[in-house]
Amino acid sequence: MGKQYGFCYDVSRCIQCRTCEVACKSAHDIEPGIQWRNVIEKWEGEFPNVTRTFFSLACMHCASPACMAVCPTGAISKRAEDGIVVVDRDKCNGCRECFAACPYDVPQFGSDGTMQKCDFCAGLGIEPACVASCPAEAIYYGTMEQLSRMTDGKTAERLTGPTGPSVIILNKPGASVIQSIFAGQ
Amino acid sequence: MSRKETDLGSAAESSRVKGTDERMIPTFCSLCGPSPGCGLNCFVKDGRLVRVEGMKESPINNGKLCPKAFASMQWVYSPQRLKYPLKRVGEKGEGKFERVTWDEALEIIASKLKEQKEKYGPESLAILSPQRRSYSDYLYRFLMAHGSPNYGHSGICAIQRFFGFAYTLGTPRIVADYKHADVIVVWGANPVYAGAPMGSLKGILDAKSKGAKLIVIKPEMQPDAAKADIWVPIRPGTDGALALAMLNVIVNEQLYDKDFVSKWCYGFDKLVPHIKKYTPEWAEPITGLPSAQIKEVARLYGTAKSACIHAGNAFDQAVDSNNAVRAVAILIAITGNLDRPGGNIATMSNTIPMPKSVHLKERYTQEWVDKLVGPEIARCFQPFIEGTSSAYYRCLNSILTEEPYPIKTIIAPGTQPSIITRGSKRIKEALKKLEFMVVIDVMQNSSMPWADVVIPVATMYECDHPFEAPVMGKGNWIMARNKVIEPLGDYKSDYEFWLDLGVKMGYGEDFWHGSIEECMNYQLENFGITMEELRAHPTGIIYKPEPMVYEKYEQIFATPSTRLSGDPYLPEGKVAIYNTTFEKNGFNPLPEWVEPPESPTGTPELLAKYPLVLFDTHTTDVYNHGWLRNVPYLREIQPHPWIHIHPETAKARGIEDGDWVIVESPHGWIKVKAVYFPGIRPDTVMSVHGWWQGCDELGLPGYPILDGGANVNVMYSTDPEKAFDPVVTAMPKQTLVEVRKA
Repeated sequence: MGKQYGFCYDVSRCIQCRTCEVACKSAHDIEPGIQWRNVIEKWEGEFPNVTRTFFSLACMHCASPACMAVCPTGAISKRAEDGIVVVDRDKCNGCRECFAACPYDVPQFGSDGTMQKCDFCAGLGIEPACVASCPAEAIYYGTMEQLSRMTDGKTAERLTGPTGPSVIILNKPGASVIQSIFAGQ
Repeated sequence: MSRKETDLGSAAESSRVKGTDERMIPTFCSLCGPSPGCGLNCFVKDGRLVRVEGMKESPINNGKLCPKAFASMQWVYSPQRLKYPLKRVGEKGEGKFERVTWDEALEIIASKLKEQKEKYGPESLAILSPQRRSYSDYLYRFLMAHGSPNYGHSGICAIQRFFGFAYTLGTPRIVADYKHADVIVVWGANPVYAGAPMGSLKGILDAKSKGAKLIVIKPEMQPDAAKADIWVPIRPGTDGALALAMLNVIVNEQLYDKDFVSKWCYGFDKLVPHIKKYTPEWAEPITGLPSAQIKEVARLYGTAKSACIHAGNAFDQAVDSNNAVRAVAILIAITGNLDRPGGNIATMSNTIPMPKSVHLKERYTQEWVDKLVGPEIARCFQPFIEGTSSAYYRCLNSILTEEPYPIKTIIAPGTQPSIITRGSKRIKEALKKLEFMVVIDVMQNSSMPWADVVIPVATMYECDHPFEAPVMGKGNWIMARNKVIEPLGDYKSDYEFWLDLGVKMGYGEDFWHGSIEECMNYQLENFGITMEELRAHPTGIIYKPEPMVYEKYEQIFATPSTRLSGDPYLPEGKVAIYNTTFEKNGFNPLPEWVEPPESPTGTPELLAKYPLVLFDTHTTDVYNHGWLRNVPYLREIQPHPWIHIHPETAKARGIEDGDWVIVESPHGWIKVKAVYFPGIRPDTVMSVHGWWQGCDELGLPGYPILDGGANVNVMYSTDPEKAFDPVVTAMPKQTLVEVRKA
């Protein structure tokens, strides 16, 4: 088994500037209506004691991808060398089983009907555009081992879930808040 | 002139060039201003710009960009680009044009200007100011050569703050030193949506991670407030009242720096009795803030070892402006935070030479000041740092009032009088009556229908000049612009337009006889380098930053003002807490509180009909001012004009999240989408400035610019008695409204 690459989000630094969203769209020429990366927000409390937290999320590149498990055509695969989950759109038949299975609503479908999603910029052979572009330095990438070492001793939690997402959340409020967002799905 | 790919040096080596059919060309962005532009690496395939990346070599942005820059390709190739010059053929307002050549268009403009100069005097020309650009001084140069002082600056941006700081602290620019601060106050400013790649945002976040306390003062919880230790949800337009109350606490509780006050401040003894009435309890009903919070913030700021204030556009856009800015300046001074680490720093010098200015400031005379049609800064204080300026609105208003005389030609480069200043209905009448109008832009804009001539100009990707250099003392980098793609139509650059027009008018002596290369080389003389030689450094030259020297009080307080007399900003050679210069000229020597034209405490009789406060922001995550709505990547993130409304306020009116609503003030009404926003004052709604434009690619509409559209500038007062700060214009963006389902 090779390394597993993943993302680390520092929620104390993300300020929803949307640079990662547009940098991703621009790098991959993504059509209108589709976004591989989304900066979501969560409000809590009542005015004036409200909190507003932002999370920049794309594909979780799970250890056991639910999408891959249900794909009838074998279009989805997990790369042995780096754990990145990719879709071969030529093989995809647009059945949307992956969307139903994914706990994080990652798969999207554009005008050609096939599934598309974050591929860690593997197809472009570059470091992830979102990481490179973030002006707040709120997103990091690396192997899960590297990210664990980087966040050792800090307030950090690996996102947990049955599919094994390759994501670490750094600083408050923590992965449990993100998990609560997905709990309803 | 050709450059080999190998000249691109490390920029090409470190960049990622997909395949071998892409060329990488570095340049700098100009999508926003007034700061120096972010360095950009542009990737061109078959002569077409296909993508951009941040340039690591630029010290301005260190390789980062904002979402607007990443959407550049769609902007450059927008179907709404102006491709060739136009001449009006229908009625004014009809928007009917026929194509003419660049030369024909300039000929029409030149002959009209010559005719009007003869008939009405050269001052009948006003050039409206865009957001400060690297071509802004060319606008001034043309006015100087022509004989008009009427540079129509907005009256609602930056100058208003610079003025108050200059006349209180001796210097217009005082930069917050986040790196060394224990307490950071972001006040009516937006470091997230405005210039995020340029370092302030990272500076604030880094300081926070090292333990600095962040206080953010603004009516809604924008992302910077979401990161604050304390969010101060102030009512719009009342920042001056809060500043006065903070002064009250700091003076009464003796939290000020006694040494600095006794050595370097003039008039503290007069401040003490004056500030007594501005208690936190007095400020509470005005600001909508609990007096306990006002005290908490004042004490935190006053007792901090080092604290800085970053004050933004909110201070430029309230009638209380000159008072509020002076109150903030006094706060900085008496707490001992002026020009000290972690406080507000006066940048007085730099190792990088200054480019030679093209402004022709040396030609100013008293006659120039006297001829201003409607001063932006009170006449007695003109010219100010950018030159003589009339207020944008006043240039247009004179067309209707003909007082003191009417403007007869407006040239509007990169600016849209139809929507960007207050009182759009009145402006429309003025544009209809105006004898001659020239619109200069890269894109079709909302003012075009009233233009007699429309001049298209190049985007920053389509020309190889000018050079980027420090702006207002910021930056230590100089770089020649590199041409990325050929112009898409029959046009040249803004700079070339003014040179060409200057030559056509017979002012060729002042315009290098039309040679853009000579114009560039003239400005670079102080660097001992020509434009050609500068191009040999494709990503520019970086100068070492000047070592920081603090507490330069003798130097700062002796700064001569830009008035013709050259008298210092500070006649006592000390911080002007009590401002004798203001007093001599008939203005209040100590800051006071002035209510917005419509407000809960100023005009409570209006509350029965208009119970909510409306204000707006000029920049969001994807938009600047009155443009960029035609760019698909950006428009799909914010497809519709909106107001942010507290969910309870909305529910009380039967309004659901996403409903279209009518927002009505005493002056006009707009129709926008209601967006539930838990982090806004329940008595306040916020909208966005500059909505008019459609997006062809997404099939999303534009909106009318008057009642029933989404142009928030129909909503505000333009009452000459109430809607102008007497010193600095600062037309307000606060009013009272009701909101109901459409």
